[in-house]
Amino acid sequence: MTASILDGIVLGLQFGLLATGLTLMYGLGGILNLAYGQMAVVSAIVTVSIMEAGLPVVPAAAIGIAVGALLGFVLDQTVFRPLYSLRGEARVLLSLLLSLGVALMIDGFLNWLFPLKGLSLFIGGGAIDVFGEPMRRGSLLASGITIVAMGGLVAFFRFTTLGRAVRSVIEDEEGARLVGIDPRKMLRLILLLSGGIAGLVALTRSMVAPVDVTAGFGITVFALIVTVVGGLGSITGALAAGIILGVINAIAASAIGTFMSLVILLVAAAVTILVRPAGLLGVKE
Amino acid sequence: MTDRFSQASGTSAVGGVERRSTRSWSGVAWPTLGVGAILALVPLWLGDSRVMMGIAVLGLAFAAYTIAFNLIFGSTGQLFLCVGALAGIGGYGGAILADVVGLPIVVSIALSTSAAALAGGLLSWVAVRRSLGVIFTGIVTLIFALTFENLLLGLGELTGGESGFLMEAGRGTFLRSQIPPYYLMLGMVLLTLFVYGSLRRSRFGWAFRALRDDEVAAELAGIDVARYRIFAATIGAAILGLAGALLAFTEGRVSPTTFGFAEVDVVVLVMLAFGGIGSFLGPILGALTFTVIDELLVEVGQLRVFIYGALVIALFLWLPRGVVPALDDLLRRRRAGS
Repeated sequence: MTASILDGIVLGLQFGLLATGLTLMYGLGGILNLAYGQMAVVSAIVTVSIMEAGLPVVPAAAIGIAVGALLGFVLDQTVFRPLYSLRGEARVLLSLLLSLGVALMIDGFLNWLFPLKGLSLFIGGGAIDVFGEPMRRGSLLASGITIVAMGGLVAFFRFTTLGRAVRSVIEDEEGARLVGIDPRKMLRLILLLSGGIAGLVALTRSMVAPVDVTAGFGITVFALIVTVVGGLGSITGALAAGIILGVINAIAASAIGTFMSLVILLVAAAVTILVRPAGLLGVKE
Repeated sequence: MTDRFSQASGTSAVGGVERRSTRSWSGVAWPTLGVGAILALVPLWLGDSRVMMGIAVLGLAFAAYTIAFNLIFGSTGQLFLCVGALAGIGGYGGAILADVVGLPIVVSIALSTSAAALAGGLLSWVAVRRSLGVIFTGIVTLIFALTFENLLLGLGELTGGESGFLMEAGRGTFLRSQIPPYYLMLGMVLLTLFVYGSLRRSRFGWAFRALRDDEVAAELAGIDVARYRIFAATIGAAILGLAGALLAFTEGRVSPTTFGFAEVDVVVLVMLAFGGIGSFLGPILGALTFTVIDELLVEVGQLRVFIYGALVIALFLWLPRGVVPALDDLLRRRRAGS
């Protein structure tokens, strides 16, 4: 039981961080990015390709994350550009359809060019005891990196002027515009940031389990569920929901098998949406 | 619904029927019969090949899916991302009822179609009750679709898990022969098309258009938006269930990929976007066009997915009304000009 909970927390931390990227894009720009998981996969594949070319893991990982961020920026400048002339639900709907197209393009391209390729960062060394349970070093390192990244994100949004500017746009776009903040610039920043987050999560995830070319859709779905349960647009909600769902998933998986645990997770998400459409910590509009 | 997509039906021959007389049934019956007459000739051309006939049957099933999705999404603005799952309730339901429970085939199909209709109606009822909006309806139905997929995989003893199962029922009957299943499926598609066309011309059609253009105004004009939405979703889901069940019985096997999200929902979305959201004959033209394109692209393997993605983007960016209505407009202008 303790082992399952710890595994769940490891997974939950990562999905919490992953979901913050999705929730920021939605909260700030009304963009529901279904290509999010594919952005993570691109980072993973770039990293493993560079490592195969002979570079050490740290610079390869840094380049992988940078490519993820760059992909976010490119999407903002190209495919998502026509979205910004739309408002409200129309924008969300079109963003969903366009990003689905992007997801298919990336999936098809990667599966065609690198079938069977996947990133698996193996962290050597023996297990370390945590609360009497042996934990793999890879899981601990992944969790450590994730927690540091989360801390960095929270600090960025709480203490820096830029982070506060982003939050002000989420709260009231018109108000932010009036005090001289350009929402488009903030959105560009967030797409860059979320691409980087997706890349980082792909790397930490690969320390626990391989991330291969077909993983994109699964990552997107998980991030979407966590985001919706946590409340679209809420960063703390995403982090909390990630950990809660991660633990539920791990306990259910060890008790009744993978597929049925996913069913439980999905039903839990559906119930949350129906009981509290704004999510656990979301604010009703 | 949104401004971008609400212009979908309207002035074109393919795109809408408002211009012509709204009374007579002939405006629905003739196009339906025309489509039927052309498609009835397909076996003369491809009838020798079992593989090609299988693809043709699958194409017809997708035509029915696309018409149903058009009724639910195009006409009443409910983004149902569980087309494959609802068809799967029909397919797996029919297969299990006939093979495991041992009911007659016709009864199995009727029961599983009703089950799909009930599921679709319930989903719509929940969405309307909780006033979920387009996006949350999409998310909830996506969750429903994924739950269905994982249930298929998780309940392996009943469903055969990842590989599905071969069906005993219908073996040795006309359902497994080469050409008759095609005409069975074609009959179902034509019935579907006729039902959809008739609905468009009835007071339901007026209500659909009103609530798509402006939901609040429709509500104020005395249209019971909730009732029409649930009605459309129930009929649409029944069509999906029936098409899924017929596909299962003619193929003689069911598997999760036959009704998967990536294999069905994504493709149906492309077909509808191509044919024109909200149009009458667009969905069937879109479905048939893409069945052919899909066959032509078999050689390029995974690049096919890439091309689909590029098409989705291009269609929604530059031709949000659909290729078929746009071509139709172009032809009209030509004719008017000459």
